[in-house]
Amino acid sequence: MTLQRISITTLVALALGATVAMGVSSNLLSLLTQAVVYAVFAIGVGLLLRQNGMVSFGHALFFGFSGYLVGILLQMKVMPAELAMLVTLLALTVMAFLMGLVIVRVPGIAFGMLTLAIGQMFFLTASRSRGLTGGADGMSIDWPATLFGVAQSQLLKPGTMFLICWVTLIVVLLLLTLLLNTRFGSITEAVRDNEERARFIGIRTLLPRAAVYALSACVTGIAGLLSALNTGFVSPENLHWSLSGVALMMVVVGGHKVLWGPAVGAVVYFLAKDILGSYANHWMAIFGIALITVIVYSPSGIAGVLAKWVQGKNAPGTLSKTLGH
Amino acid sequence: MLTINLFNGLVYGALLIIMCSGLALIYGLRRVVNFAHGSLYMLGAYIGYSIAGATNFWVALVAAPAIMAVLGVLLDRYGFRLLQDRDPLSVVLVTFGLLLVIEDFVLTIWGKNNFSMSVPAALNTSVDLLGTPVPAYRIAVIVVGALVAIGLSLWLRYSKIGLFVRAASTDPTTTAMQGVNTDVLSAGVVGLGTALAGLAGVVAAPFLSLSPSMSSDVIIDSFVVVVIGGLGSLAGAFVAAMVLGMIQALGAVYLPDAAALLPFALMVAILIWKPAGFAGSRT
Repeated sequence: MTLQRISITTLVALALGATVAMGVSSNLLSLLTQAVVYAVFAIGVGLLLRQNGMVSFGHALFFGFSGYLVGILLQMKVMPAELAMLVTLLALTVMAFLMGLVIVRVPGIAFGMLTLAIGQMFFLTASRSRGLTGGADGMSIDWPATLFGVAQSQLLKPGTMFLICWVTLIVVLLLLTLLLNTRFGSITEAVRDNEERARFIGIRTLLPRAAVYALSACVTGIAGLLSALNTGFVSPENLHWSLSGVALMMVVVGGHKVLWGPAVGAVVYFLAKDILGSYANHWMAIFGIALITVIVYSPSGIAGVLAKWVQGKNAPGTLSKTLGH
Repeated sequence: MLTINLFNGLVYGALLIIMCSGLALIYGLRRVVNFAHGSLYMLGAYIGYSIAGATNFWVALVAAPAIMAVLGVLLDRYGFRLLQDRDPLSVVLVTFGLLLVIEDFVLTIWGKNNFSMSVPAALNTSVDLLGTPVPAYRIAVIVVGALVAIGLSLWLRYSKIGLFVRAASTDPTTTAMQGVNTDVLSAGVVGLGTALAGLAGVVAAPFLSLSPSMSSDVIIDSFVVVVIGGLGSLAGAFVAAMVLGMIQALGAVYLPDAAALLPFALMVAILIWKPAGFAGSRT
């Protein structure tokens, strides 16, 4: 994508968000806000799959962890909330980078199972430790009266909250697009496609992979912060592996070949859940079948179908191509 | 006190052996980590519960695994076989979708309530073990686990089909070229693996209560076992299952705060030390 196209797309997306924020009922707005929060979450998971070819079954770890960390920092009243959010993201990214240095060396599906195990470790710790985290009941986060100079009452209006999340989503997508257009993007793709050959041409493969892992954790952590802001609450549910599974489902159904694919998956997930209404009790079966159908018949997901439809012959490849080792 | 803890470790280890041998067999032949294995275990337990309610425990012990075996054969024929040229990770995601479908099915049919299944009358006694009374049923669980472990090992080592299974696990293409029908073989092995999940469910039902969350508890432990043991390695899985059973039982008593974390800590440590597990050379 050229710089011009990127800026036009960004402006159009921002205008679209503003229109939605003003023109939609507040019920639908809060649904969409939730969808956008999970869109950011899923983009983090999708980034790891897209740039590293690795499937994480434990990304809820970063989603829940950032909520807990910012909650604890605010409770201790050691720093202003704006700084606490920044510190949370930095700490999360550093932690994920160090973790990544160790776990990205585990190949294939064992990596997924390892992330699942580490995620469950944090889930169990959070649900059992009473003091700081409130155990299984979770903890509420006491945001200060003003955040970034905006009063809390203003902030919690559905329209404002939606706009904050939407703008964050667009900024995350924009920054990732710019970043992946650099040499870093090419290196990670080379390592993903064939780690051995990448090493032969002189690329050190461990650091880029750990960096992608940290980056994807950071994006998911941003989603965790948005969720903490939106609900004012964080509980062990935010760390549970079923949440990682749902995010992965959004990635696959939305399509992971393009950066914004997982976001489409998240919006489809929440809208479908809402439209299903009374059938939503059976959402597991319905989404399970949807997941299987997409993988079998359309491995590049909804975004893949859209891209094919728009671009005609320049369609992205299949899931197996990206995942191929 | 120590005796009863070690004993309970053995019981849980035996249950994990039944679970994980199915998981390892399916991985060996199809290179699929079956995320739905825990759900199949749960389905087996609930089916066993209903059959036992209508007839008795012993009918359930045979019929539920038999029904699960049929399901497993269908799963291979209409699932894994059609997807065998796909990347393993896509197939894993398909089994994740299957997990959701089965969980929903169980919730719809049996509801959210917990059930408990009564211990069969013949085993509803206690036996004296080194001065500690232990329930006879739990001894029976250990025996079933041991029978499964020994039976599978002997079958794979000495029977002709066992030879085919080992060959196909190493190299399916060459095995097929030698005239072995690997599709039929895989259907059989996946059927057997699924039946073992069902058997584990029925065996567990009288001492663990039946609930919709029973699948996720056991599947995560099973994953820890097969990863520590080395994916696809039966012997590794047997040893790891016993180690994990012991760690769970002893940890719950001596390190109650950290007990839940021990299996994961062990898994992380083993994988960092040997990424393919302690008996595995494959990934």
